[in-house]
Amino acid sequence: MSVQTLDHDAYAALPPEMFVIGTDDSHAEDIPRPSTTYWHDVWQRFRRDKLAIAGLVVIVVMTLLCIVMPMVSPYTYDGSDYLNMNAGPSLQHPCGTDQLGRDQFIRIMYGARISLTIGFVAAAINFAIGVVYGGLSGYLGGRVDMVMMRIVDILSSLPSLLYIVLIMLIFGSNMGSVILALCFTSWIGTARVVRSEVMYLKHSEYVLASRLAGAGTWHLLVQHLIPNAMGPIIVSTAFLIPNAIFSEAFLSFLGIGIQAPRASWGSLANAAIPVMQMYPHLMIFPVIAICLTMFSFNFIGDGLRDALDPRLKK
Amino acid sequence: MNLLEVKNLNTSFHIGVGTVQAVRGISFHVEQGESVGIVGESGSGKSVTMLSVTGLLPDYAEVRADAITFDGRDITRLNRKQLRAFHGSEIGMIFQDPMTSLNPLFTVENQLTEPLKIHRGMDKKSARARALELLKLVEIPNPEARLKQYPHELSGGLRQRVMIAMAIACAPKMIIADEPTTALDVTIQAQILELLQSLKRDSNASIIMITHDMGVIASMCTRILVMYGGTICEQGDVREIFYGAKHPYTWGLLNSIPKVHQARGEKLAPIMGTPPDMLQPPAGCPFSPRCRYCMPVCRTYMPPVTQLSGTHRVACHLMHPNAPRIGRED
Amino acid sequence: MLKYIIKRLLAGALTMVVLITVAFFMMHAMPGGPFSPSEEKNVPKEVLERIAASYGLDQPVWKQYLTYWKNLLHGDLGISYKTVGTVREKIAGHFPYSARVGGLAVVFSLLVGIPMGLIAALYRGKVADFATLALATIGISVPVFVLSLLLSYVFSSKLNWLPTYGLEGWASYILPVVCLSFNPIAYIARQTRSSMLEALEQDYIRTARAKGVSELMVVAKHALKNALTPIITYLGPLVAGLLTGSFVVESRFAIPGLGYYFVRSISDRDYTMIMGIVIFFGFFVVICNLVSDILLAIVDPRVKLANE
Repeated sequence: MSVQTLDHDAYAALPPEMFVIGTDDSHAEDIPRPSTTYWHDVWQRFRRDKLAIAGLVVIVVMTLLCIVMPMVSPYTYDGSDYLNMNAGPSLQHPCGTDQLGRDQFIRIMYGARISLTIGFVAAAINFAIGVVYGGLSGYLGGRVDMVMMRIVDILSSLPSLLYIVLIMLIFGSNMGSVILALCFTSWIGTARVVRSEVMYLKHSEYVLASRLAGAGTWHLLVQHLIPNAMGPIIVSTAFLIPNAIFSEAFLSFLGIGIQAPRASWGSLANAAIPVMQMYPHLMIFPVIAICLTMFSFNFIGDGLRDALDPRLKK
Repeated sequence: MNLLEVKNLNTSFHIGVGTVQAVRGISFHVEQGESVGIVGESGSGKSVTMLSVTGLLPDYAEVRADAITFDGRDITRLNRKQLRAFHGSEIGMIFQDPMTSLNPLFTVENQLTEPLKIHRGMDKKSARARALELLKLVEIPNPEARLKQYPHELSGGLRQRVMIAMAIACAPKMIIADEPTTALDVTIQAQILELLQSLKRDSNASIIMITHDMGVIASMCTRILVMYGGTICEQGDVREIFYGAKHPYTWGLLNSIPKVHQARGEKLAPIMGTPPDMLQPPAGCPFSPRCRYCMPVCRTYMPPVTQLSGTHRVACHLMHPNAPRIGRED
Repeated sequence: MLKYIIKRLLAGALTMVVLITVAFFMMHAMPGGPFSPSEEKNVPKEVLERIAASYGLDQPVWKQYLTYWKNLLHGDLGISYKTVGTVREKIAGHFPYSARVGGLAVVFSLLVGIPMGLIAALYRGKVADFATLALATIGISVPVFVLSLLLSYVFSSKLNWLPTYGLEGWASYILPVVCLSFNPIAYIARQTRSSMLEALEQDYIRTARAKGVSELMVVAKHALKNALTPIITYLGPLVAGLLTGSFVVESRFAIPGLGYYFVRSISDRDYTMIMGIVIFFGFFVVICNLVSDILLAIVDPRVKLANE
């Protein structure tokens, strides 16, 4: 401890100039710790989470690869190399080829395009619907809120797989209907979070102050409520991405998602089941891609949650 | 006889970014049947002091003391189990927020009879009878019905009465009340204070009242400890503190009490600045950055304790013979 | 309490009405009916029309809708278009398989997940905590179809320890149950851990300690009851989801359960079957949610108040 004390005699002998009031030029209003903004703090905390950073790197690399590789690769997702069918990994085909001699690596890259697109687009749409729906419900309150929340209760009390399957059947198996199906109910979680945050903030003093100062409803929502409710909203959105990717893989695995010759990770895994024993590489690589992505997004989500949770701040 | 004696208590919390030195080398005592007030701002270390003394701090807290003697026994040497025998039986505690201090999922009866069953070995029936008695003692109307209720069905004032009933259930020798009225309405505050006072009169228990409210202290206590930045900056009996305070921080506290005869337009005098960051406490006197009378010595050395009377002690460099003679300004 | 239950029941009934209506009209919006000429090319048009008429499919939609409701209220879900027998018989025949595997999975998830989360919370920052978090992350990140492929490959094909398919004997239950419970275990362990940590920080825990309550009772009585309320909320969807069967697990391990037949009737476009199973699922979910709501209200008396 840095506390300095003196023995009795040394203290008594301190010179008079030590006892002059006001000779010190320090101010009472000194702030001892450098003050930082909230988002700066969040980033600092997030940066310390090694797993989350690793996840972020994996996703960025995967995004870049799936954009660039199909452009520079000599192979296409449906081009066959009949000399190398069911070939194991080699220099020519780093992840081997399938039954039709299609390059597995490039098919996985196309699958990544589909998975990541679905993940991001579905999360973005769900985010938008959730924020608007939850924000309105929480802000308007009263009867409107009651009705809006009952609707959400009904929607959420049914297994989402039912809706998804029905929508896939009606609109056919393509990326658009996969996204539509995923957006049907996934926004509910976000909407609930936004609603409760808005409800909470609505009664807080600074919103009241702003209201007294004559701020309109939209101004309040945009300037105060949403930015302050951002933390929990971001976390719930971050977990929407892996959920969407997972659901797409699942649908394609069932055979009602992305259709051949297009490739998605789920359909690649599904196609590999019958030949799993003989050509394990056809199963292993898509599965690794799925798991790696899921892990990365979950780590990012966890990291964000920890970084945004102010209770951990001391 | 001293019921509680604390010598050189140091409490620190190890958290991610460093160590918070919440309490730094304080010593005090409480006599049998005495009411002592501990006053200070939030973060001054007053609650941590009492939690350290009772051993109720979480594991990441480090408590060191030369001695903490309660009723003749050094409780720093007790293990968890022996310490637990004191909690709720010899030492009763009342906490600040009655809204959160009662478990929402258990009835009043369940929570109120708990200490009776643990320390007195009562069976369900006799514990219930005693619980009824206790509720009557803390002046809760319709006690039979209240026993069956859950905390959320009671008002804040009633919940605090339940907390008090729980604290006195086993007739403790000492009651520690940590800001017992802060979360309550003003009228309820007065009722609760009155209740505490009458309970004290009847039981001869010692009370330690932790608060930031000088008014509460004036009505309840005979002796006052003023805490700042984890240290006791001044202590004395009520008269000495209210009429003869020597520490600039105590002056500040006293000046922030509204006066009955306050002239119109005359402002309350707040203490400027913010409490010190206990991660990096100032090297010298903790109050020096906010003190109007700060001198070079205050920045470098911790002020020694000056004994002014049998009870009155102050830790301030203004007591040094070389320092200017400053009196309290109103 | 009764008022609360009645309110929840009404809400559940409303949910069912909405579900049945939405599902019915979605079914009818589907391109290509079961007996449309485009689907069955080898059957003469007149025959198809006659079959359609015998199922009442030539009626206007609103009339079909009313008829469906009338039959439904008599417990009649119609006749399967593509397989032999009524929808009710089919569901009654397949549901027990799903329920048996799913029920075991529910019990297994709770028995493993809650202690895991508890230990992690009590030994926060220690090895047990990290192990739990790691396992929970794996459980959330690895899709169930990947897990079922992996486990059946390792334990059945390679090691030959456990049977690959069917439900003969206890050993054949192991893999499906483990696959089904993996994700719920992860969720329950994480949730228990975080709500336990939160509960332990509450003021009432300090109060309990100040009363001299032993550490065991502080955890087992005061903290645990509070920490388990989110798990009770999760119980409804969990039981409903597991008992109604998972297509992936059931098809992987060749269990003749409801989940498997649901997806099969989708690819068969067996509309009465799909409708029937959707309604059954919905009904089941509503019941499970109702039960978990009531349980929650018993454990946490504040819930009732908020809903009244």
